[in-house]
Amino acid sequence: MNILSVQNLKKHFGGVRAVDGCSLTIKTGTVMGLIGPNGAGKTTMFNLISGFAKGSGKIIFKGRPTDNLPPYKVAQRGMVRTFQIPHALTKMTVLDNLMLAPKAQAGERIWNVWLRPQSVKTQDIRIKEKSRDVLRFFEIEHLENEYAGALSGGQKKLLEMARAIMIDPSLMLLDEPFAGVNPTLSRKISEYIDELRESGMTFLIIEHDIPAITRISDRITVMNAGKIMTEGTPDEVKQNRDVLNAYLGDEG
Amino acid sequence: MIEYVCVVFPYVTTILLISTIYAVFALGLNLEWGFTGLINFGHVAFLAIGAYTTAMLNLGGCPLVLSVVGGTVMAGLFGLLLGIPTLRLREDYLAIVTVGFSEVLRFILLNEEWLTRGPFGIYGFDRPFQDVIPCQYYNISLLILFVAILIIVYTSLEKLVHSPWGRVLKSVREDETVPAALGKNVFSYKLQSLAIGSAIAGLAGAMLALYLQYIDPGTFKPVETFYAWIIVILGGTASNKGTIVGALILWTLFSATKFINPYLPFTAHQMGAFRMIMIGLLLMLLMMHKPEGIFGKKEELALSD
Repeated sequence: MNILSVQNLKKHFGGVRAVDGCSLTIKTGTVMGLIGPNGAGKTTMFNLISGFAKGSGKIIFKGRPTDNLPPYKVAQRGMVRTFQIPHALTKMTVLDNLMLAPKAQAGERIWNVWLRPQSVKTQDIRIKEKSRDVLRFFEIEHLENEYAGALSGGQKKLLEMARAIMIDPSLMLLDEPFAGVNPTLSRKISEYIDELRESGMTFLIIEHDIPAITRISDRITVMNAGKIMTEGTPDEVKQNRDVLNAYLGDEG
Repeated sequence: MIEYVCVVFPYVTTILLISTIYAVFALGLNLEWGFTGLINFGHVAFLAIGAYTTAMLNLGGCPLVLSVVGGTVMAGLFGLLLGIPTLRLREDYLAIVTVGFSEVLRFILLNEEWLTRGPFGIYGFDRPFQDVIPCQYYNISLLILFVAILIIVYTSLEKLVHSPWGRVLKSVREDETVPAALGKNVFSYKLQSLAIGSAIAGLAGAMLALYLQYIDPGTFKPVETFYAWIIVILGGTASNKGTIVGALILWTLFSATKFINPYLPFTAHQMGAFRMIMIGLLLMLLMMHKPEGIFGKKEELALSD
């Protein structure tokens, strides 16, 4: 079954066609890599799919269209994204960053804070426990009381992934999870993604680190100049001559 | 000794009365700015709406308690009304619209005499416990009432900002993209914050009317907004405790300068300016050495990076 199906997506900034008629589908429980040279339109694709930018075309997520929804409603449907530059909430603690995320918390409504303090409290304790489990999964549980501003770049990436998982997404869009991360951490991030995929999560991942993305992806889509160039298994993509010319070059 | 007490005690009571009113007023701003990052430069408008609504409702025959509730709710409604068109825009627009709104409102109060009696002001409305408490204990009773109100507002706000609701506000304050990407309706939270902050300012307005027993448009000049800002920044942005302390410090300083008045070669007018210079100097020193304010947390300072 396809969790996401995007048809003929278009977005232009003035005369620049950032995304020019792109279509792609992702099967539930798989990892799709999205690669292409800088300026190919990958991040614009992300913005369109997650509702942060409006263009034209159809986006069907879990069988329902999402192309007219604001980003928060797309997220409520179970699609979460991270950003190329990590958006850690630096003035909140690591634990608060995670506890912010879960959907439909009773304590997010003022009247519940007043009228049902007990259920708000018990839910908050449950969320705290879950946050600690997720922090343990990413092996950053020792940082829970640190302000996120004190974290290193790599730790911020982990924090952002951890926070995204807190909303129990069915589809995660990761924007360059391996960029600026040391080889050890990079390997760990691949392991985390593998493990989450085995638990049923679907991924769409933008990445420039070709060895890393070919290692974890089931299929790879290549973009160039706002268009989809090709799509296939990592091996097929690696052997595609056009891709080699346009992007991979000496790496292939 | 007795004479001394008789002079000092009412004086202290007066300072405390004013401080509690401004503490409530500034707590509303602290919710908007300190916890949500909304820049409201027209906070005084909601003070005015609260004061005028309370006074006019009471003069129209509404019991005093209900009038105060009416003033609070009315200010909150105006907060909503102002927030709906502006909070979807970038934050600077809220600053511009609120400062404009507060001045427009003041001119309406000044010119629509059929409604507000214009520059003549409004008086003759009830005082709390007016026939119950003898005159000499009046201010102290009023102070007890105001402190009770302050405690209720303070504890309510503390409960809110430490709830999951407050957590979302703090995330909005820092980076709207994050709560949006996590499925939070940022606009709705900003609107709630502005409406509650405005309602609290309205309550402070009702308190001010009850204390002064006379209100006119001149009571609600733009400088009142900036007193609230000074209080919040002084006490510590995003600290409710700090806001209360800030209000006490500001009004103690304002009043204390009266004691050095005779020793300075200033006219009353110059003295007013001198006081503001002193406050300004104090704020500058504070910003240089402790920009997070007295009770603020440096790690949570909204505008630091």
